[in-house]
Amino acid sequence: MANTMIHVEKLVKKYGNMTAVNGVEFNVSAGEVFGLLGPNGAGKTTTIEMLVGLRKPDSGTATLSGFDIRNQIDKVKEVIGIQLQSTSLFELLTVQEIMQMYASFYPSHVSISELIDEMLLTEKKKDRIKGLSGGQKQRLAIALAIIHDPDIIFLDEPTTGLDPQARRTLWDIIEKLKDRGKTIVLSTHYMDEAHVLCDRIGIMDQGNLIALDTPSRLVKELQSDSAIEFTLPAEEDDTFIHQLQRVTQVTRRQEWYVVYTDDLQMTLIDLIQHSQEKNLNLQDLQTRTATLEDVFIHMTGRSLRE
Amino acid sequence: MKAYWQLTLAQLRIFARNPQVLFFTLLFPIILMLALGSFLGNSGGTSIYMAVVDHDGSTASKQLLSTLSENDAIQLDKSSDVNEALDELKNNEYQVVMEIPEGYGDQLQSHTDESKAFDLPVYYNETDASASQLGLTVVESAVDQVSKNIENYSPVVAVQPEGVRALDLGYIDFLVPGIVAMMIMNNNMNGVAGQISAWRERGILRRMQGTRLKASTFIAAQITARVILNGLQALLVLMVASLLFQVQVNGSWLALLTFVVLGTLAFMAIGFIIAGLAKNPESAGPIAAFASFPMLFLGGVFFSINTMPEYLQPIVHILPISHLSTALRETMNVGTPFFDLWTHWLTLAAWLVGAFIIASRTFKWE
Repeated sequence: MANTMIHVEKLVKKYGNMTAVNGVEFNVSAGEVFGLLGPNGAGKTTTIEMLVGLRKPDSGTATLSGFDIRNQIDKVKEVIGIQLQSTSLFELLTVQEIMQMYASFYPSHVSISELIDEMLLTEKKKDRIKGLSGGQKQRLAIALAIIHDPDIIFLDEPTTGLDPQARRTLWDIIEKLKDRGKTIVLSTHYMDEAHVLCDRIGIMDQGNLIALDTPSRLVKELQSDSAIEFTLPAEEDDTFIHQLQRVTQVTRRQEWYVVYTDDLQMTLIDLIQHSQEKNLNLQDLQTRTATLEDVFIHMTGRSLRE
Repeated sequence: MKAYWQLTLAQLRIFARNPQVLFFTLLFPIILMLALGSFLGNSGGTSIYMAVVDHDGSTASKQLLSTLSENDAIQLDKSSDVNEALDELKNNEYQVVMEIPEGYGDQLQSHTDESKAFDLPVYYNETDASASQLGLTVVESAVDQVSKNIENYSPVVAVQPEGVRALDLGYIDFLVPGIVAMMIMNNNMNGVAGQISAWRERGILRRMQGTRLKASTFIAAQITARVILNGLQALLVLMVASLLFQVQVNGSWLALLTFVVLGTLAFMAIGFIIAGLAKNPESAGPIAAFASFPMLFLGGVFFSINTMPEYLQPIVHILPISHLSTALRETMNVGTPFFDLWTHWLTLAAWLVGAFIIASRTFKWE
């Protein structure tokens, strides 16, 4: 195992009666991309904000690159770069100006013109932030996060609200950062994003870290590598579905069913036979491999984006 | 240090690129001054507008006219028609109208000790009591001078009038320091409160909190940028005032600048408190207005502090704006030396220190 860059110990944050983060613990190694996955309000952002020193934990602590967030926050801030959810900046400054400003907050910084090129903002460097597109603003936010060449980079939902193309561009940038050996903590509620980018994933729900592993192992742990989806009129008796061969789990939302199985063929044949015998009207029938989304549903009984 | 300059520069750029803010903070005081100045300013507080209808046309009447016109306080117009002059009197274009009846010269020629004094009809508008009283007094003393000359009268006891301030000041001279004080209050107290709470709401401050930037550096840069901007604005307003309205600056410009800076700092500190109190930018505006509105009327901006009712005086005398406007006025109008104005700068400094302590305790990045 490489060096541990981030060590999180029983972080707790409460807002009144609500426990936003409930004893979260994990480690992140140097050069690793660590994903925090979960629905809105799961505690991802609060966890990140405690790690970067924007909120004080009620109990527990963390060390980043060996510095404790409780009493060495100035040191911590030097080794981390942050991109907050919906970063807002001085809208009337230009890309170049805001980068010079943020660069001045640190003892040393990378070449601003190279960083502008790298973040694909060359044509926009003299434009005001006000006129940038969502994707350009996010790339600028990442540029500001890495302007002092930090070892650890926190990205809080970097692609939320972006169009598919802008998301892909951002993924490329994040992968380049990873290639340079940066340690990255990324929060997202997009399954595909977590799957593509992250070495390991921590799944959060209601303040708890409910699973932590590599994306492929998380899916494998489902013990059901496939899913069958279909709709069935609500008045039909659905008890037979649970008794189909090799079924591991069934979820249902109104008329829409997802049946997980560890043997797609057997279950599917059984399902077709049953529907023929009972003269059922199965619609929109399709099969697919299980995803992280299914892992989440399996663990919480709820969808990620409810 | 680099961060401090960059933040100062950023704030100045933000000012420069926001034409709306520039318009209302820079041009508004000037427009206000132009508007109020041209309505009220040119009259020059103590001038009496007077029309004289000379029916006599003799050497003696001309002598009377020249005596009157030599008086600096009287703006003399000659009129040929009494009724026309009286109409203008009713419209407040004149405070006094005097008629010199025919035979005035002859009467003076044949004047003996026994003869009765010649009556000069003088009309005034009783609805404008204070101006016409003043006008009558001035005219009376001028006429008195004429009769004394004729009598070869040499006074036994004389009054040696010496204005304490010996200055010729108009309302515009009173107004400009008030406008500068108002501008400083608005731009800083209301400006800081609005801007900081908006930046906080939008998470701009939070993002900066995530860097190595210190709060003190940020606040210092804010202060510097605003002091520079306000210094320039005050200078501009004063230049317009002195070029267009010949407003006097009798005191030292250095003292004036010191008060501008002191006022800026004090009101900025109060603005930071309001920004701390306000839960969101929407409430920052009303809170700032709640603080600035009474000050606008009680603090000697448009009206003299002395005209405030007795029971308000204690309040008036703690308001920072009263001390700022009075100090600016004393410096510009009278030229009072800086150290004689110690009550004012001490009070402003006390406000600055007090407000700064409260502001630094209540300041929140988010």
